Amino acid sequence: MEKLIRQYWWKALGVLIMVYVFTVGMLVPLKPGITTVAPSAARTGTDMTLDVTGYNTHFLEAEDSVRFWLKLDNERALAAKAVQVVSNNAVKVSFSIPEYLPSGEKVQPFSILMDNAIDGAIIRPDAVFVTQDSIHPALGESAWKNDPITRLHVYDGMTFPFRNILGETIRNTYYHVSLWLAMMLIFIAAMVYSVRYLRTLDSRNDHWAAALTTVGLLLGWLGLFTGAIWAKFTWGAFWSWDIKQFTTLIALLIYMAYFVLRRAFPDEAQQARVSAVYNIFAFVALIPLIYVLPRLTDSLHPGNGGNPAFGSDDLDNTMRMVFYPAVIGWTLIGSWIASLLYRTARVEESHWDGYEAK
Amino acid sequence: MLDNLKNTDFSPLKNIPMKSVRLPLTVLFVLLFQVLSFAQAQSADFMNSMGKMYVVVAVILAIFVGIILFLVFLDRRLTKIENQINDHG
Repeated sequence: MEKLIRQYWWKALGVLIMVYVFTVGMLVPLKPGITTVAPSAARTGTDMTLDVTGYNTHFLEAEDSVRFWLKLDNERALAAKAVQVVSNNAVKVSFSIPEYLPSGEKVQPFSILMDNAIDGAIIRPDAVFVTQDSIHPALGESAWKNDPITRLHVYDGMTFPFRNILGETIRNTYYHVSLWLAMMLIFIAAMVYSVRYLRTLDSRNDHWAAALTTVGLLLGWLGLFTGAIWAKFTWGAFWSWDIKQFTTLIALLIYMAYFVLRRAFPDEAQQARVSAVYNIFAFVALIPLIYVLPRLTDSLHPGNGGNPAFGSDDLDNTMRMVFYPAVIGWTLIGSWIASLLYRTARVEESHWDGYEAK
Repeated sequence: MLDNLKNTDFSPLKNIPMKSVRLPLTVLFVLLFQVLSFAQAQSADFMNSMGKMYVVVAVILAIFVGIILFLVFLDRRLTKIENQINDHG
């Protein structure tokens, strides 16, 4: 370890990984998507014209191949009667809705499915709610098969997924979520050094624990602030007392108390021993606060309120190619900062010792 | 060590060397609040334009400012120990 902190390869590696994360994370485009469909309600037996706006779409450039469906499932879908392209991101789509729906529901939500040669197939679930006056599923079935969904195109090229409320902020997965995982790794390392200190009573282990905890707190506060900015423009408020916001704030305050505790003891050995024990306690408190409690109740965060995190909905394979390097990159840079803090603490200690000896 | 602690003034402003750090720190904070209030005032149109791309920019700026503030803290800590080494040999 003493040799490693004076070597540069792993620091350079961390910087290179972050350069990769920032360039690829910012430059890869979002997959084309549908942002709005208006109106969102219709009645059977009427003609309806929908204003559809797209994001990163190429309606104009692929005008000849633009097709739309109102879709219940692959078997029951109604192709558009006419498609009038306004611009690359706007299109007017007309449907004549049959007398009967292919389902027994009075109000049935339908997805909008778009396909063109450039953007591939895009689906917007539950886009239009159609109300029927009388119910006759069998008659509906035959009417809702005017043009089967075939020959769909596939978008080629690397993209990040399009999510309607998130938009481009899905990239914050690399700049906000990765901070928390890096923080977790750093806090694990800090806890290991605290255990090592209690076993060896070697002050170097205590300095490592303090340095890593400082870095973990830096990453945690950055995570909290970046999360607040992201929340403002997706959830509507910087701070909404979401269970995960609340529990992570408590976890960070518990870790802040680590440094208050350190300053309270003038005797170095006592300070190191008490703070090592407290650090282990703080880590034990961190796990339920961040990983258990938010899953027990409703949360605005994805992956909470019963859902497992990092399902295919939240993180697809192209995102993994940036997300996991981001975690490694933040961890390496965090370790670099921690090694600087550790070296500073060593210099401070040797100076204090020398001063006291005189 | 205890003697030395007694002489240390823990008030935050006194420890900041007037010329070297206080001015850039103030400028940094003013800039930060300017950015924040700008983002607030423009939030509806500007931050939501371009598929909310500026939210990502704001997040990256926040990380940058956070790391710079941390560097200032580390700089001060090193200056302090350097001064002590110079004073007491």
